[in-house]
Amino acid sequence: MNHKQRLIIALIMLISAPLRLSGQDDISGLDIMRNVYTRPTGSDQQGRLTMSLTNSRGSRRVRKIEQFIKDTGQEEKKIMFFISPADVRNTSFMNWSYGEAGRDDDQWIYLPALKRIKRISSESKSDYFMGSDFTYDDLGERHPSEDTHTLLREETLDGEDCYIVESIPREDGYMYSRTVSWVIKDKWIGLKKEFYDEEGELLKVLRVLKQEKINGYWIITHTRMHNIQKDHTTEIRLENLIVDAGIPDSRFTERMMKRGL
Amino acid sequence: MNNVYFRLLRYPRLVLAVTLLLSVLFFLVLKKNTRMETDLDEYMPQHHPAFVYSNQAEEWFNIKDGILIAVENADGIYNPVTLQKVIDLTRALQKMDEIKKEDVTSLYTMDNIVGTESGLDVKSFFRQVPRSDDDLTALRASVRANEMVYGRLVNPDETVTVIVAEIEDDSFSQAFYNRLLDLAGSYESPEKIYVAGRPIVEGTMALLGPRDMRRMVPIVIAVIIFVLLLVQRSIKAGLFTLLVVLLSVIWAFGLMAGAGIPVYAVSTMIPVMLIAIGVADGIHLISHLRLFLLENPETDKKTAVFDMVKEMWKPVVFTSVTTAVGFISLVTSEVYPIKYFGLFTAFGVMAAMAFSLLVIPSGLLVFGLPRWKNTGNIEKSYENRLLNTIALRVLRHQYSTLFITAVIIAAAVFGTTKVWINSSFLDKFEKTSDIVLTDAFINNHFGGTSMLNVILEAETVDAFKQPRILRAMDRMQTDVVGSLPVAGNSFALSDYLKRMNKVMHADSAVYNVIPDTRELVAQYLLLYEMSGDPENLWKVVDTDYQKANVTFQLKSDNSMAMNHVIEQIEEHKPALKELGVTVNYAGSGYKGLVFTDLILEGQIKSLFMSLILVVILLSLMFNKIAAGLIGAVPITITALISFGVMGLLNIPLSTTTALLSSIAIGIGIDYAVHFIQHYKTVAAETGDRHLAGQKTMQHSGRAIAFNAIVLIAGFLVLLASVFPPNRDLGALVSMNMFTSFLGTVTIMYLLLTVSNIFIRKNPR
Repeated sequence: MNHKQRLIIALIMLISAPLRLSGQDDISGLDIMRNVYTRPTGSDQQGRLTMSLTNSRGSRRVRKIEQFIKDTGQEEKKIMFFISPADVRNTSFMNWSYGEAGRDDDQWIYLPALKRIKRISSESKSDYFMGSDFTYDDLGERHPSEDTHTLLREETLDGEDCYIVESIPREDGYMYSRTVSWVIKDKWIGLKKEFYDEEGELLKVLRVLKQEKINGYWIITHTRMHNIQKDHTTEIRLENLIVDAGIPDSRFTERMMKRGL
Repeated sequence: MNNVYFRLLRYPRLVLAVTLLLSVLFFLVLKKNTRMETDLDEYMPQHHPAFVYSNQAEEWFNIKDGILIAVENADGIYNPVTLQKVIDLTRALQKMDEIKKEDVTSLYTMDNIVGTESGLDVKSFFRQVPRSDDDLTALRASVRANEMVYGRLVNPDETVTVIVAEIEDDSFSQAFYNRLLDLAGSYESPEKIYVAGRPIVEGTMALLGPRDMRRMVPIVIAVIIFVLLLVQRSIKAGLFTLLVVLLSVIWAFGLMAGAGIPVYAVSTMIPVMLIAIGVADGIHLISHLRLFLLENPETDKKTAVFDMVKEMWKPVVFTSVTTAVGFISLVTSEVYPIKYFGLFTAFGVMAAMAFSLLVIPSGLLVFGLPRWKNTGNIEKSYENRLLNTIALRVLRHQYSTLFITAVIIAAAVFGTTKVWINSSFLDKFEKTSDIVLTDAFINNHFGGTSMLNVILEAETVDAFKQPRILRAMDRMQTDVVGSLPVAGNSFALSDYLKRMNKVMHADSAVYNVIPDTRELVAQYLLLYEMSGDPENLWKVVDTDYQKANVTFQLKSDNSMAMNHVIEQIEEHKPALKELGVTVNYAGSGYKGLVFTDLILEGQIKSLFMSLILVVILLSLMFNKIAAGLIGAVPITITALISFGVMGLLNIPLSTTTALLSSIAIGIGIDYAVHFIQHYKTVAAETGDRHLAGQKTMQHSGRAIAFNAIVLIAGFLVLLASVFPPNRDLGALVSMNMFTSFLGTVTIMYLLLTVSNIFIRKNPR
């Protein structure tokens, strides 16, 4: 390394050091949540989902589901087949959600015992997914523009440096009055999230228990949602994950729902 | 023992001072530590299997008592104003501390499971108030089409809709009820708002009964003082007699407070008992004193007082011990408040005995004898002539007396067979009270305000996904609701499945049945979980589908209604048993039923036990089994007449009225003991049974008559009570006094004379 090169490096460091420092300090809540939202997760995903529901009395119910998800950027299509319990085996559920603002999801369910596909109206009362503690919104990614974000502080959680961001919905009457997210720096993965109900009281706590790097993407594979008020817990585990396998559009049709696995 | 007692009386001032000092101490303890127990659960025998099970089931299915708020609009509820009130009331109830948000059910919060052309939907009936006629018509149509709501939340006339708010255990208070009424009131007109439900009835009763007692007892005491003064004709004597009762009440409650035992609703009856029983000792003592002074006008006070205690201490001790034993037998009850009631009343009775023997003579020694103006001949007094007439007639018409007694006993026994037990809380209120009218209104329009939970338990997991088991459950529901008018409605897992099956088959009524396969059941349930609120399911089935909760709505909370429903359910037990399903019951209505049965069982058991104990004690006291048997006659007759009259007048046996039997025994036995004791003394002196009878009639008979008059007058005051059970109590206690008195001076007198006991053979 010659003198000139060394000078250039020193200069770059001189210029960039304060930039980087101020960059760290200046990153806004919105920036963080945008980074989380845009973190690449692949265009499709296939895997075994195990959902355990535990109520306040400690009684546990387990469901195993094979799921396929494809994100075209415009829309997200999802199809799920129940594997167990046995009496609901091959019951399938399909959900199409659209990027366009204001357009409701389309949902179908196939009941093999009835041999019929039925549409579930998306104005359904419950926003909760299959009796779990996750709402459809919790499972999907909420667009950062729907909330006002504030970076509250930084702290270490589970050995990871995190930003703590508070998000307050812009729309009136949303199911949460605010949420607080712990986001791992650089990875842009949420590690923990608190949900506050309309009265401002803590309703649920989401913990990400495991993230794996699959095919170069950080994928969350084990989460636990605890509804504090009802003392009800849902754990979701993803196994045998295949990312970017190139699932064809034809996977997401009523014909496939009926055919089963 | 005797010597100690008489020596004590040589220091009357010391006795008075010590007694008052101790009483002040007890009073301070009482003031400092007394607390009312208002938590009804504390009254229940929580270890009893039925309670253990019910409490467990209540936890499994989150069974709570519901408050019903009915909104009535005579022109129909489907208009924006009334519907807005339903929303506002629902929200206001959800915000109350005693109510959890998710425990409020109304047309606004209710899930509407509907079939659409392409599938199924679970949604609200409305989120905002429908304003246009079209929207209102659509709402009306969707309610009519939903058998889970129509007739349950909206009456068939569509003029009333009901909001159900389940409240947290033990959170009912008068303040909460007042807030509810204020809330309801603020939404009135043109709508009418009604508030009803078991927590209200139960809570109001727990507050009203004791409060009414607290108001009435001072008046009872005032009347007793007044009549006492009239019959004793001396302020001093009357005050001493009453002081005994008041001190015994203070000691009983002081000890209770000192032992850290709270005052239960039933404990408010202790003063009533002690008043009824405690004045007797004083009356007999003073009556004896007065007779002694009449016969020996020149004696000094010391001689008179010592004669009084010498002659009377035995009957006073005997009567008090027998009475206390009667109350102690209540300790066998499984219900703690009743146990304590028996224990502390017994203590109070013994305390009253001690005060009668210590405070009255000491008081007389210190403050001097009463100065009776009327020193005229006692034989000419009215009561004496009456008693003599009775005595003469009874002996002259022995067979008529026996015959009349037999007839009365027969009638009483017949009446007793008609006695029925009632655990109803509602029946304790005035028929015209708001609480009864509101309840009747809701019962007229809906399934019923009282709930019975039937808990089905299967041997295996997922049993309640099996169509044959679900069909058996459905058959039971249909049968009970169809055959018993008092069972207005039922609600269970079967209702969800039938509704979903119907909706998934284009709303065809043919499919309003349990699905055919286990798979279809499971898939419907999964579908419901995905579209509705699964929490609703866990109120009718557990997450393993091994236990189910069938709720019956009853139009009455009385025991007969509930027992009928249970009998009808029991008929389905064998069929369910074959499917491996057991049947049990739960809920506060059922617990109330078990509770009442327990109390009554205990009281009746203790009644028999104390009768036997009394016979034994009397036999020991008088050294003769015949005396024991004869002494038990008036109380047996009194108890029989008490129950007989209840049966004939259709007064149900309840926890209050059953307590009367204890009073009947406690007082009846006093009369008998005083009478027999005096008869025995005179018989030993004279050896002439007729003379003994006559003298006893003048002495004890007179005191008994005074006693009866004082207490009847006092207890008749309770007839003015606003709380019907307290009125029954007043009437029945008065009647018991009268029959005890009459039984003692007639049939017992007759038996005593005829049997010739206490008369030495060949005295001459």
